[in-house]
Amino acid sequence: MSAGLIAHGLLLAASLVLVFGGAATAFAGANALKRIGGVIASLTGALVGLAALGAGSSVLIAAVAIAFAYCAVGVSLLVRLQESYGGIETPAIDCVDLVDEPAEPRA
Amino acid sequence: MMAALEFLRLQAPIVTLALLFGGAALALVIPHGRVSWTIGIVSALAALIASTQLSWAFIVSGDAMAAYGFLALDGAGAFAAPLVAVLAFLALLAEAPTLADRPERAQPYAIALHLAGAGAWIGALLARDLIGVVVCASAGWLAIAGLTALPAQRGAINGALRMTMAGGAGAAFMLLGAGMIGYATGSGDVSGATNALIGAPMTATLGFVFILAPLMLMAGAAPLHAWTGPAYGRSDAVLGLSIASVGAVAVIARLSAVAATAPAVAEGVSIALVCVGVASVLIGSVQAVGAVNVRRLVAYASAAQVGCILLAVALESPAGLAAALVQLVAFGAGAFALLAGMLASKDSTLAALDGMGRRAPIAGVAITIGALSFMGAPLTLGFLGRWRLIEAGVGAGWWWATGAAVITSLAAVFYGGRLIERLYFRRVTETSVFDADPWRFARVPVLAAAVLVIACGLSPGWLLDLAARAAALALGIGA
Repeated sequence: MSAGLIAHGLLLAASLVLVFGGAATAFAGANALKRIGGVIASLTGALVGLAALGAGSSVLIAAVAIAFAYCAVGVSLLVRLQESYGGIETPAIDCVDLVDEPAEPRA
Repeated sequence: MMAALEFLRLQAPIVTLALLFGGAALALVIPHGRVSWTIGIVSALAALIASTQLSWAFIVSGDAMAAYGFLALDGAGAFAAPLVAVLAFLALLAEAPTLADRPERAQPYAIALHLAGAGAWIGALLARDLIGVVVCASAGWLAIAGLTALPAQRGAINGALRMTMAGGAGAAFMLLGAGMIGYATGSGDVSGATNALIGAPMTATLGFVFILAPLMLMAGAAPLHAWTGPAYGRSDAVLGLSIASVGAVAVIARLSAVAATAPAVAEGVSIALVCVGVASVLIGSVQAVGAVNVRRLVAYASAAQVGCILLAVALESPAGLAAALVQLVAFGAGAFALLAGMLASKDSTLAALDGMGRRAPIAGVAITIGALSFMGAPLTLGFLGRWRLIEAGVGAGWWWATGAAVITSLAAVFYGGRLIERLYFRRVTETSVFDADPWRFARVPVLAAAVLVIACGLSPGWLLDLAARAAALALGIGA
């Protein structure tokens, strides 16, 4: 097996690790910042994967644009979370939301 | 003049997108909420007319409108584009009374995000390249997430964060999936899987699954629907969320139809759709039965309905895809009727429905008909979709698909019946605070339209014919 093929395989494996690891962090991170970091890692993994699969430059630019858009929206939501809840710890935010949501009154 | 109109008719797909994105840009730069709303309504109505024209010309008249640079038409996309446009127009119409509840600065943003979200989802339905589908779906998802975050309640921000995180991780999978399909087929076109010899079928199948799974998440299919509870339950922009759900399901139908025409990947894609479809029916039905917040109930019930649509798509036959398209219309109209009806109340708990049938009769009728359609009651569009699924399932030897349809209907009888009982058989309580804004009358055509669409179940011939033609075109059979 040539060195090129090995490098190609390693790149794909690294991209899959990044995509799956990033996605796991995005869904289960302990705070909003870590979750955004997970999304960025996941999208970076996709970018590496696309490059390894020989995608064209327009596709790579589109992937970078998508990553930038998610990063921008994520960070703006992070700021609003900090302003509204006074913190970005997701379990604490979920607890506050549970308290905020009124229980169903009995008719 | 006639020449200009003819030119616009021939360019209907581009005109549809230009109207929605142009309207969004215009609404954004005008700092007055009501003026932005008027611009938004005009743009959405014009886009609705243009998309209906393209759908009619492609599906019924058989005009050769297959390619427009970065856009390409197929049966499923042409069928669903006007549906998304209708929902966007009605959602904007229903936005009128809630506009005043938003901060003045946020009002133009709400209008612009509605239009941009609908435009992006229609773009995903009409995009020629897989990467175009991914970009448009991401843009549509981010627009609707932004809309979700606009309300003053802080819980909505948490819902929007979940949407953004889920969508971001999903976008990574979709990008990788598009790259894999391009690598395996040697073509970046959506139709590439059909035309090209697939050199690496496993890679192509995995690529399709990587693209379809995030779309299922965006459609709110269980068990990928962790975002739906916070987003539906705490945001005012629930009608925008229904646009995203319908758009995502329609894109799934489009891509699955493409996969169905490539034998190397068809089976793998079908298995993935069946697994999520069955899980979605079971989990969504159980959660909807236990829900105490009507908006959450609609989110969970939608998961069950989406599960049925996925099962119909998984059949990968003309009858199955036609059943999926009919169910898509029923799902969009039913969810819209339920959510728009609930906007008549300031509260979204079940207790808020008490006596609504008498205090807000049109909203009561909309909720009732939406619930009946979700149940699959005869003479509603929901019945038609469910019946078509059973017919297609039995025809393909998938008897168990009948069971999934029956489970969905039985669960819907329970939770839908509970809604109807509260509407008409309970007294008004302290929590039943109804909207007194004079702009609430802007919702009347919204509710009437939802009721009318569901009432298509009374005379369904044209819809069934349209769905059958669209399915045949999507599968490359020809109407």
